Amino acid sequence: MALLCCRLLRLAEPVSGASRLLCPPLIRPDSCPPVQALRNLRTATWWDEHLSQENVDFLKQQVPEEYNRLTASKINPLKDEPWPRHEWEPGSRRVGLVGVKLGMMPVWTKDGERHVVTMLQVQDCHVIQYISKEEYKSKTAALVVGAKNVSPFYRTEKQMEMFRAAGVPPKQKLSVFKVTDNAIIKPGTPLYAAHFRPGQYVDVTAKTIGKGFQGVMKRYGFGGQPASHGQTKTHRRPGASGPGGDPAKVFKGKKMPGQMGNIYRTTFGLKVWRVNTKYNILYVHGSVPGHRNCLVKVRDTNLPTHCEKNQQPPFPTYFADGDEELPEDLYDEDMFRFGDESISVV
Amino acid sequence: MAASSGRVVTVLQAYKAFSRITKHNERFLSTSVWRHGSAGGESPQPPKFTPPSKPVVVDKTKPLEQPRKFMSPEFIPPRQRTNPLKFFIERKDMVQRRKVLNVPEFYVGSILAVTMSDPYANGKSNRFVGICIQRSGSGLGATFILRNIIEGQGVEICYELYSPRIQQIEVLKLEKRLDDNLMYLRDALPSYSTVDFNMKPIPYSVSGEVPVNKLKVKMKPKPWSKRWEHPKFSIQGIHFELSPTDAERKEAQIQGQSWRQYDMLKEYDTTELEESIWKELQEERRK
Amino acid sequence: MALFSRLWFGLTQLSAAQHRSFSVSTAASAIYKMTRVRVVDNSSLGNTPYHRVPRVIHVYNKSGIGKVGNKVLLAIKGQKKKALIVGHRMPGDRMTPRFDSNNVVLIEDNGNPTGTRIKVPVPSHLRKLEGEYSKVLAIALRFV
Repeated sequence: MALLCCRLLRLAEPVSGASRLLCPPLIRPDSCPPVQALRNLRTATWWDEHLSQENVDFLKQQVPEEYNRLTASKINPLKDEPWPRHEWEPGSRRVGLVGVKLGMMPVWTKDGERHVVTMLQVQDCHVIQYISKEEYKSKTAALVVGAKNVSPFYRTEKQMEMFRAAGVPPKQKLSVFKVTDNAIIKPGTPLYAAHFRPGQYVDVTAKTIGKGFQGVMKRYGFGGQPASHGQTKTHRRPGASGPGGDPAKVFKGKKMPGQMGNIYRTTFGLKVWRVNTKYNILYVHGSVPGHRNCLVKVRDTNLPTHCEKNQQPPFPTYFADGDEELPEDLYDEDMFRFGDESISVV
Repeated sequence: MAASSGRVVTVLQAYKAFSRITKHNERFLSTSVWRHGSAGGESPQPPKFTPPSKPVVVDKTKPLEQPRKFMSPEFIPPRQRTNPLKFFIERKDMVQRRKVLNVPEFYVGSILAVTMSDPYANGKSNRFVGICIQRSGSGLGATFILRNIIEGQGVEICYELYSPRIQQIEVLKLEKRLDDNLMYLRDALPSYSTVDFNMKPIPYSVSGEVPVNKLKVKMKPKPWSKRWEHPKFSIQGIHFELSPTDAERKEAQIQGQSWRQYDMLKEYDTTELEESIWKELQEERRK
Repeated sequence: MALFSRLWFGLTQLSAAQHRSFSVSTAASAIYKMTRVRVVDNSSLGNTPYHRVPRVIHVYNKSGIGKVGNKVLLAIKGQKKKALIVGHRMPGDRMTPRFDSNNVVLIEDNGNPTGTRIKVPVPSHLRKLEGEYSKVLAIALRFV
């Protein structure tokens, strides 16, 4: 709750780096009070608490325009001063995407088999930052990817610095992807759903639905105890936690009651059935952790058995600059398209 | 007004009389011609009689009725916090499928015939006729259940409306019943769910109201699969033989949850949504 | 007295048998151990009346729930006989039929059917077992 507050500053003060973040042109000088709102995570006040109604309306109108301008002008950041592109080779790791989980729907194969898919929308996905090997203290470099534009009032100053450096609006979710050196992309590049192609296999990571503090029957599927036959206060308890005298301890990792869900989980090796390039939707096989509308991290699969399916992807990513004209929908070759004739012989 | 109608009547009478005369004349003429032809001997075979084509009566006094506005129930998204884009994308696929497969208008209680491709059937396709007892699901996952009794054995098949295996859906009889779900036919006498496989389609009008069959079915002796007399089902289409006792009536009052109709959180008014979806579908179809 | 009570019991049972089957509850929704089943072929074993309805006493698969095409062991007329499930009340996959009763066909140990006709419709996806139970499929009159 106490995520944001407004710090009051005098406008007359010299414009420091801190006060520039509010985008001073957004506030009309004539109607502006002699104070300016700044976010700080210390106290609990609404961002518009010290603004007049006029200014709030103005901000609400201006911010989307500003965001559109930022994203529109950055369609092809690589055009002006591109980082060199490299060829794909076995063992390269590409950047992934951050998507919004829309929901599930059925698809059918050309044999008439039914599968369910999860629809993931890639919404305002941009590369935010490049972290070199030395900085990341790792064997590989990393790229930070963000998705879903949000209000600047909900981000810290440090994060805002990052977004301003990339020249993109602030994002709700940031994810770090380890990439090989030939797959690095310039910050500010937009990423699209066509980054993945049908027939590829992906891993999806997200925070599972939180169930709160749960007992062992719900959390681990223990059997519990009978409802009757002389049971006293023992119906859903774990029972014994191990042998007594010999180890004289409870082994580490013993399944006990505790917080269930609300942790990051990954489902591995999900096939991409279809990609919608107009609305940027990935149709990924089966279920994916997390609730509806949650932000998930999608990357090329790590499973060695599926690696040969991921050969020659768009590398380092798909650039929407007309090098490759894509149809609105890309389908897996096994998938039934809804405009086709009914299947006659299965 | 009365005068004008009177004039119309006289005009009609005059017309009738005239038509009678002309008919008489025609007959007379035709017979004479036939005699003439036979006397001539040039064509011994009499000319074959061709009946005149039936006159098509078009009543221009009535305005042309617009076809019924019908939208399949699976187009209406459920009330939940899903991004409307998801349903929009699904609708696009549904329209694509409907352009290939004619999915007719039908309701629970209508009699349908569905042909689907089946690798294990003779001729690789399978036709099933039955009464639709349930429609469920929204979006591409919509299903409907057909029920029939074949050789004394009750059979039900749950069809996926958008499955590519479905080749044809025919409506043999279009009607509604008193309830939106006819699952109680499982516990009704078998004659109520028996449909002839060789049934001829009964023509129906595409305008006006859908006929409602106010049939009340008779049930088998209890036990039933569900307590259909329970007020939570609020079933109209069962002929309950025994009138409820006072105790049952009292229970019904308690169990009926009469406050439900005043529960504003359960209200889901879809009229505006339906309008917008209807417009969108029309545009999609035109593409 | 004992004789009289036995006679009376027999009479009531006879009258009960005239208008309904022995068990009054509806058919079970799945086929597992102790499920009452309906024998749908014309074998004499399955069609002569007996005071106990045939029951499943074992299902030959891992899950213990019998589906179409599974073999079961029946207790029928005091004997143990194998049978093949040809339809059940529990809904299976979409686009496959669901029946109002749990139907089985008696088979010998080698897979040949005991009867010579199956009286009710049989699901067409039973033809998956063409090689194994082709004789059972051959006596089926109608597929759904």
